[in-house]
Amino acid sequence: MIRASFLKKSTWLAVALAALLLAAGPGWAETLKVSQPNQQLYPDPDFSSTPLAPVPVGAEVTVQRQAGDWYKVDFQGKIGWIHRLAFPQAKAPSRFSLPSLLTGGAVKETTSDEVALAGKGFTPEVEAGYRQKHPEANFAMVDKVESFKVDEAQLKTFIQEGGLKP
Amino acid sequence: MKRGNQWVVAALLTALALTAGGCATGMELIPVATIAAKGVTKAAAASRPISDSEEYYVGRAVGARILAQQSLRQDPELTRYVNEVGQAVARKSARPQTFRGYHFAVLETSETNALACPGGLIFITRGLLQTCETEDELAAVLAHEVAHVANKDGINSISQARWTEVLTAMGTEAAKQYGGVAGSLVSLFEGSIDDVFKTIVVNGYSRTAEEAADAAAVQTLKQAGYDPGAVASLLDKMMAKEKGASGGMFKTHPPTGERLSKVKALVGEAPAAGKEVAARTSRFKKIKI
Repeated sequence: MIRASFLKKSTWLAVALAALLLAAGPGWAETLKVSQPNQQLYPDPDFSSTPLAPVPVGAEVTVQRQAGDWYKVDFQGKIGWIHRLAFPQAKAPSRFSLPSLLTGGAVKETTSDEVALAGKGFTPEVEAGYRQKHPEANFAMVDKVESFKVDEAQLKTFIQEGGLKP
Repeated sequence: MKRGNQWVVAALLTALALTAGGCATGMELIPVATIAAKGVTKAAAASRPISDSEEYYVGRAVGARILAQQSLRQDPELTRYVNEVGQAVARKSARPQTFRGYHFAVLETSETNALACPGGLIFITRGLLQTCETEDELAAVLAHEVAHVANKDGINSISQARWTEVLTAMGTEAAKQYGGVAGSLVSLFEGSIDDVFKTIVVNGYSRTAEEAADAAAVQTLKQAGYDPGAVASLLDKMMAKEKGASGGMFKTHPPTGERLSKVKALVGEAPAAGKEVAARTSRFKKIKI
């Protein structure tokens, strides 16, 4: 009796786990909506690669995988990379996904040693160290310059009024 | 039956262990200590280009060093206008986006110059703004500077030897204090800022880099709908002004007859000035410089 009830419990647990994995596995094909203007689809996860196409605000892209701050996506049949800045609502990159690991699905590729070290070169911490050594460096003014932004509607009007190409 | 139970229990325990591992580390699949230890050799062996975010931090520090010596022009209307022209050309350049975008500012000096920090911080002096007679010429200056950012002319001034040292230091520091502020990285960062600063402020770019930026500016102006001939007309003005001048742009972006003739060959037939050009010139004239 004891054995039979144990089997029942274990079987139920195994079934529940299998159901969880099946549900979680295919769910990775996530769709994200671009909410920031001036976004581009890149052939490589690198801003200096020549963009493949612009991706307008409101466009929906299907995420195939993620590498650090970049998403490999399908946008209207074009495959390329979009930076996380395009989707401020998206979560910070995770290096570990249980469903992906267990199902052999799209494992996020930030697990190699080189990639782990890739973000550890010149970082905000290094900038903080530099600021301590160089109190004369005017980072406050740099922050001010970085706050100079032109919103999309304003730029559109400026382009239109000046007879420039949209 | 017994064997079956063991299998089920083993499978559950494995799944639980994996789950617990994920929860405990939160993000990391490989234990930090393992990465740090391996980092010593891996980073030394690794060779990777500078990333977009690293380029951004170098650019910020170079900008902070420039702004320690020069003050910003505090005029919201002028700043907005320069940023509008800058964004209009940047979006049509070979590198429409950078890690934190392009930002343009005016330096309060009569010196004639423009400077592009890696990552997209771009400065134009009041003196150079006064040299420009049209919006299209201002667009030519900004497109030329955007091209230096796109071509990574500033960031490429960091010597290969220093960058190799950065990669090595990353491994060493990771072994000592993973995630902490690494003293040697700060020194290497400092050295990298010096390399870039010397190029963009003191010595200037190579002639090849200047000509490539001119060619890119012509292309960008065409794409944006500005008159590509503005690059040539600006160089003309610079050459006329050069007589007796030595510092600033004349040193870092020397205008030469050779540059001018190459630009003129690229521009070809400039379009006739239309109503739109007049509209742009009119809004340019309204801006108080």
